[in-house]
Amino acid sequence: MSGVIIRRPWAPRLLRTAVLGAASLLLLIYVLAPVAWLLSSSLQQERELTSIPPHWIPDHPTLQNFRAIFATGLGYAQPSANGVDPTSGGFIPSVAANLLPAMGNSFIVAFAVVVLNLLIGVPAAYAIAKIRFRFRNAALYTILATRVIPDIALVVPFFLMVRKLGLLDSLTSLIITYLAVTVPFSVFVLASFFEQLPDDLDRAARVDGCSRLQVLTRVFLPLARPALVAVGLFAFLASWNEFLLALMFTQTAASQTLPIVVAGITSDFTVSFSFLNAAGVLAVVPPVILAVMFERYIVSGLTAGAVKG
Amino acid sequence: MARIRFQSVSKRYGSGQSAGQFAVEGLDLDIRDQEFLVLLGPSGCGKSTTLNMIAGLEEITEGALLFDDQVMNNVPAHKRDVAMVFQSYALYPHKSVFENIAFGLRMRKVAEAEIKRRVEDAAQRLEIAHLLARRPSQLSGGQRQRVALGRAMVREPSVFLMDEPLSNLDASLRISMRAEIRHLHAQMRSTFVYVTHDQAEALTLADRIVVMNGGRIQQIGTPDDIYERPQTIFVASFLGSPAINLIEGTLARADGAAWFCRGAWRLRLPPELASAADGAAVTLGLRAEDVQLAGDGPADLPAVVETAMPSGADQYLGVRSEGQTLYLRVAKDARVREGDAVGFTLTPQRLHLFDSQTGRSLRAGA
Amino acid sequence: MQRISHDERAALGLLGPLAVVLMAVTAFPILYSLWISLFAVNLRRPARQPFVGLDNYLHVLGDAQFLESVTRTAWFSAIAVLAVLVIATLVAILLDQEFPGRRILSACLLIPWAIPSVANGLMWKWIYDANYGALNGALMQLGFITQAQVWLGNANRTIPLIANAFIWKEVPLAAILLLVTLKSIPSDLYAAARVDGAPAWHRFVHVTLPAMRPGFLLVALYELLMAVRHFDLFSLLTEGGPGGASDVLAWRIYVETFRNLSFGTGAAMSYILAVATLAASYALIRSMAQRL
Repeated sequence: MSGVIIRRPWAPRLLRTAVLGAASLLLLIYVLAPVAWLLSSSLQQERELTSIPPHWIPDHPTLQNFRAIFATGLGYAQPSANGVDPTSGGFIPSVAANLLPAMGNSFIVAFAVVVLNLLIGVPAAYAIAKIRFRFRNAALYTILATRVIPDIALVVPFFLMVRKLGLLDSLTSLIITYLAVTVPFSVFVLASFFEQLPDDLDRAARVDGCSRLQVLTRVFLPLARPALVAVGLFAFLASWNEFLLALMFTQTAASQTLPIVVAGITSDFTVSFSFLNAAGVLAVVPPVILAVMFERYIVSGLTAGAVKG
Repeated sequence: MARIRFQSVSKRYGSGQSAGQFAVEGLDLDIRDQEFLVLLGPSGCGKSTTLNMIAGLEEITEGALLFDDQVMNNVPAHKRDVAMVFQSYALYPHKSVFENIAFGLRMRKVAEAEIKRRVEDAAQRLEIAHLLARRPSQLSGGQRQRVALGRAMVREPSVFLMDEPLSNLDASLRISMRAEIRHLHAQMRSTFVYVTHDQAEALTLADRIVVMNGGRIQQIGTPDDIYERPQTIFVASFLGSPAINLIEGTLARADGAAWFCRGAWRLRLPPELASAADGAAVTLGLRAEDVQLAGDGPADLPAVVETAMPSGADQYLGVRSEGQTLYLRVAKDARVREGDAVGFTLTPQRLHLFDSQTGRSLRAGA
Repeated sequence: MQRISHDERAALGLLGPLAVVLMAVTAFPILYSLWISLFAVNLRRPARQPFVGLDNYLHVLGDAQFLESVTRTAWFSAIAVLAVLVIATLVAILLDQEFPGRRILSACLLIPWAIPSVANGLMWKWIYDANYGALNGALMQLGFITQAQVWLGNANRTIPLIANAFIWKEVPLAAILLLVTLKSIPSDLYAAARVDGAPAWHRFVHVTLPAMRPGFLLVALYELLMAVRHFDLFSLLTEGGPGGASDVLAWRIYVETFRNLSFGTGAAMSYILAVATLAASYALIRSMAQRL
């Protein structure tokens, strides 16, 4: 290369690098520090955790809390008896045994909500994106309106309905209500994705012999994988993370989801701080793994749902 | 085998009885079996809507659509024996070329061996046999176009629809594809309905042309009919390049003949054009190629040359006459310079005369 | 009535399941809730549930505790929305630059968005802990305080501290949305400003900020909706305490309904909240619907 390279003066470039580096570091600390402390705390012995000043990095990291959770959850060990000093090493609180089953409940609920979201949301989104019909705008506004209803406003009627149907303390009640809370957003993300696919593709498939439903399953679905992944993730995370409705509807370990059990632990004074943090880590790990793994899909889905929706 | 008939068909968009704009209004059209019919018009004229109604992609608001003697209004697209080629090609991005072409046959449950035979045969004829394993994204525009044609061909449909199939191709490819499409029609024995806004394409391909504007049919006829005997000013001006010269004036009867008058200029009209009354406002249509330089002899049209534009085989003159600029074609070797006063002789039989009010041709029998 | 066309029949079929779900689990509950709010429903007295008309609403609107919770919610929402806007704008501007590590940074940014609010609550409760909390620990190590503070126990600090936890979780989504707006600004605008000789700071104030207005509006309204209805952190960190210092609307509705078991007034409160939210988001609906 013999062309003349015009360099910007070095001072502004250096300044830019420095500012960007500092800002990135600051943001990274802001985002990660609380979570890092949660993780660090979960790996400390109670004695180390309650020392002042705090040990930011554990001197003697231990997996005892997690071991306890998995051992009791899988039935290999029993929680420690009452009356034993909770701060002593090896103490297993009675709620430890509830964590794994609660995680199982959370998985079942979240999985069911994802499947139902796709089953119901995909056809609806296709209709909104590709079919001209008289009540299209009305349908659109209705779905939008349901998105802004605060869930707390639905709590009272939900509770009375669920009670009347005898579904209190069941996973079914959670699945149905989570579906109602998540499906409008799913429809928006999917509809805005389908809108980007050319109308001619829809027409070509119909002329080729596809009914509307076949157009959807044979042409649009294979092309919509990114949107399906995004919608599935949103529904999964929303269900996994939901707290308020689960607090109303669940009463026993049979239906309690992970947030409920973890919330119970935070207000339980017999549980050690380090165990508390371990429970928190347990709730955090699955969604964080999903989010970081599928970052690209999530970002494009979020912007489609919020900006275009 | 299919004859396609539109009987007073209208298409309105939007909901409600009163609301909505007509995309097509009062369409009566009889498309013969195995005909190559071209729907020609500017964008928004209703030609694509008409095509989509044949395909079943748009519903008919009023009137009836018949294939042979069967009313098709309520037969959905996927149950019609119709294939279609789209301007955007609309290939399925997730399927190979083979699967793109085979898809319509698969949906119709054609046997696997037969699918393979037909796809390979079509690929051979379209010279895309070596591309069958590729994805559409790996093809050039011309190749995609061929795949789109192949997808429609293998269906062996009784009705073959094309919506501006060539307009995304570059100019040279477009000309050669016209010949192929013509050839395809000769082989297929299907009824072809072809939508375009390109008059040259229409004139080359069509058995008959339907010129549309504003949702209505302007004229139906063979390419010769449409070009030589336009029934309206719109048709006259839509076909021909450069566009036909339209000169407004009045009709005068004197000395036992009819005259076109504009300012000081008087032109004797042939009797078949002289059906209008004395003093009627009329528009004279004069195509660029229908004049000769008069030289020193008597001239029908005196003018002053404003611009001379050589264009390969001929040259076009922009001339000024009676306050109007006309574009006329003369031989390349004609020595004219800007500013020259020249005279032209006109061929009376090739003149077009329209009623300025209605825009309709004044030719007898038109 | 026009006849139902093929397309409309197909649309009805495809939208049917969604319609059923939304009818059963959203439309019906909303109407049911309105109905309940007109009765004196108290689960302590299940046999007697007289119709009281608008009494529940009048009672709620005249209730000082309720009105205080409204003010508190407004205060919380104002802090949260403003802070989210400012921080998210800065983050969006940072992520709009090209630099090595940008992708890792934006992946990490999703962590707060992804974690359950319960875990968020637990995490901050532990950080704010009066005895062994990280906040006390860090501030003492840095020498800003000499004595451990009872953070959440101080009525003046409760709302800002809860808002902080809320903001931490909400910034990522807001930043992603603002980043999209930022990226959609046509580069011609910048080029034009550059040609005009505008320095970077001017370009930011006169080109970037005005062009981001729709993004700001969207984020502000969305965060407002989220903040006004927020329940989880209040329940986990303070349960409305100390002494009602964090008794916001959502918490009030919960207490009224599930602790006092007064479903009639609870429903009335949630109806007031829903209507207020709906009104506030009307503009949001309009702007969003026009885009689809």
